Amino acid sequence: MILRVIHAELYKAVRKKRVYVLASLMWLLVPLLSLLIAWVVNVNVSGTFVDDGVTLTDLLQVIASPAGISRNLLLLSGNLAPSFLIIVVGLLAALFIGDEKSQNMWKTILTVAPNRFAVLTGKLLAAMILLGVILWGGFLSGMLFGSIGMIFLPTTFGSGWGQLAQLYALEWAFSTSAMLFAFWLIWLFRNVALGVVGVFFLPNLLEGLYSIYAAVVGFDRVNRFNLWLEALQLQNTLRELPQYFFTTNLYAPSRFPITEIVGVIGGDVADIGGPFSNFFDISLSQAAVVMSVYGAIFALLLAIGFWRSDVQ
Amino acid sequence: MPAIAAANLSKRYRRKVAVDAVSFEIAHGEIVGFLGPNGAGKTTTLRMLAGLIRPSQGHASILDVRTPGKTLAQVGTMIEEPSFYPYLSGFANLKHAALLHGGVEDSRIHEILGFVSMDNAADKKVAAYSQGMRQRLGLARALLWEPKVLLLDEPTNGLDPVGIAEIRENLIKIAEQGVTILISSHILAELEKLVDRALVIERGKLLFDGSLHKLTERVGDAVVHYHLEATEPTHLVQVLAELGYEHTSTNEQTIRVGIPRNDMATFLKTLAAKGVSVLEASREKDSLEAAYLRLLKEDGRPS
Repeated sequence: MILRVIHAELYKAVRKKRVYVLASLMWLLVPLLSLLIAWVVNVNVSGTFVDDGVTLTDLLQVIASPAGISRNLLLLSGNLAPSFLIIVVGLLAALFIGDEKSQNMWKTILTVAPNRFAVLTGKLLAAMILLGVILWGGFLSGMLFGSIGMIFLPTTFGSGWGQLAQLYALEWAFSTSAMLFAFWLIWLFRNVALGVVGVFFLPNLLEGLYSIYAAVVGFDRVNRFNLWLEALQLQNTLRELPQYFFTTNLYAPSRFPITEIVGVIGGDVADIGGPFSNFFDISLSQAAVVMSVYGAIFALLLAIGFWRSDVQ
Repeated sequence: MPAIAAANLSKRYRRKVAVDAVSFEIAHGEIVGFLGPNGAGKTTTLRMLAGLIRPSQGHASILDVRTPGKTLAQVGTMIEEPSFYPYLSGFANLKHAALLHGGVEDSRIHEILGFVSMDNAADKKVAAYSQGMRQRLGLARALLWEPKVLLLDEPTNGLDPVGIAEIRENLIKIAEQGVTILISSHILAELEKLVDRALVIERGKLLFDGSLHKLTERVGDAVVHYHLEATEPTHLVQVLAELGYEHTSTNEQTIRVGIPRNDMATFLKTLAAKGVSVLEASREKDSLEAAYLRLLKEDGRPS
């Protein structure tokens, strides 16, 4: 039954233009821009040094080698605001669970396939398969466009493909929690637009509110809220909260290549401030545990909402 | 074993009772009409039968299995206005449903599209379909896996007379194959041509369960109309006027007269005593609509 749902959902999804637009953004836009930038840089500063100890070839290798483009695609997918990854997740969730609401299709789906567990699981798996195709398509398109770039740029194929493939796999696996979150939010709001906007901004909003409170008020100042936290012995937990933030952990694999890039251009991640500071302490294994917990919570909330609700 | 059964089926939304202890059984191969004004509880009952909403009390069964259960795979449904993915073609929408259900070949999709006369529009996107085309595609989807039971909610809603006639003919063909059909409709005249038995629901309660004949008999008008032909129509008119019966001439030979129900024998004897020879007397069929409206009025619904 689950396989039938996956088959039907993928049949539907591949006939939706949105999927091709998202895939094109990932597979074509960034690789082509990377090659264009690299070509312009190569033509204009050929033979000169960019910075102390960093050659033009090193820089081009980071921007436009096959490994460079694939790595940059992963990096960009998780490090924009809102990230490309969460946009893809939100729009895929809208396609797989929001369309049924907006087109009034639940009454049809759930009479044709009355096993709600199979329907929900099938839809989630179909969405994850499509997300995987888009992500892994980026990996392969980086390899392809980078190889084309090798014809007119002084780049090599690059190394570290095994580790990069692992990071892609991890990012895809971590996205399961994000997909569950998006499914739950769209189901909860019963409104596709509101659900998608919530997926894009709600985690950032909550995390932003925390940051504002931590920066402006802090957890040491005596106020009613802090006293309450102290009474519950939650102050330390709250101080350490950022390392359990949803977005912090979700994008851990896509943040990982920053270390390598910074290393190539002669810097240190410890010097990076702003939104990246403190995030590099979070290991991938810790992020995996945190995302698993988020995934379990969202799956439970979704199941509670979906299982017993009436279809009007 | 009934094909469709409702046992004490109830649905409450906070304080509002949408369906109140409705019970009925529909045998295999029966076509039953589900009548009731807007908001009476027809769609809610159909949704409970289809497993879409959970009863607050009681239960529904399809092919002897409580819904939602595995026998729903043998049910075709069209509840309220049929909905589709507008960006998919008619064929692709049916293909999606076929993949979800399983066991339906493409040849069956083409066959059923032909059955509802939609084969020429199969490749057009549903967004471009008219209301009538959507209704027919909805019926096609309900029939895709050759269901044993059909639950149809206002299948002719929004259709023109030609479309209504087409759907009716299709349903008659389906019924001939032994499919059990529960069909709700506002258009009583259409239902009258299709079903033998009716369930009447009002304010969530089942008011009537029986044959259409029984419905018109039970709550028919107090006066029954007859068409009389006599050897001397002018004399007949004079006698009717003299006796105080309401009458009209439908043509030179035939007089339409209203007679209190069950008084026909006395009436004919009186005419004979007055020297009127009646050649033929035919009873006008009781109007289902009139009977239905009277039934609702009996329940206290304002006319």
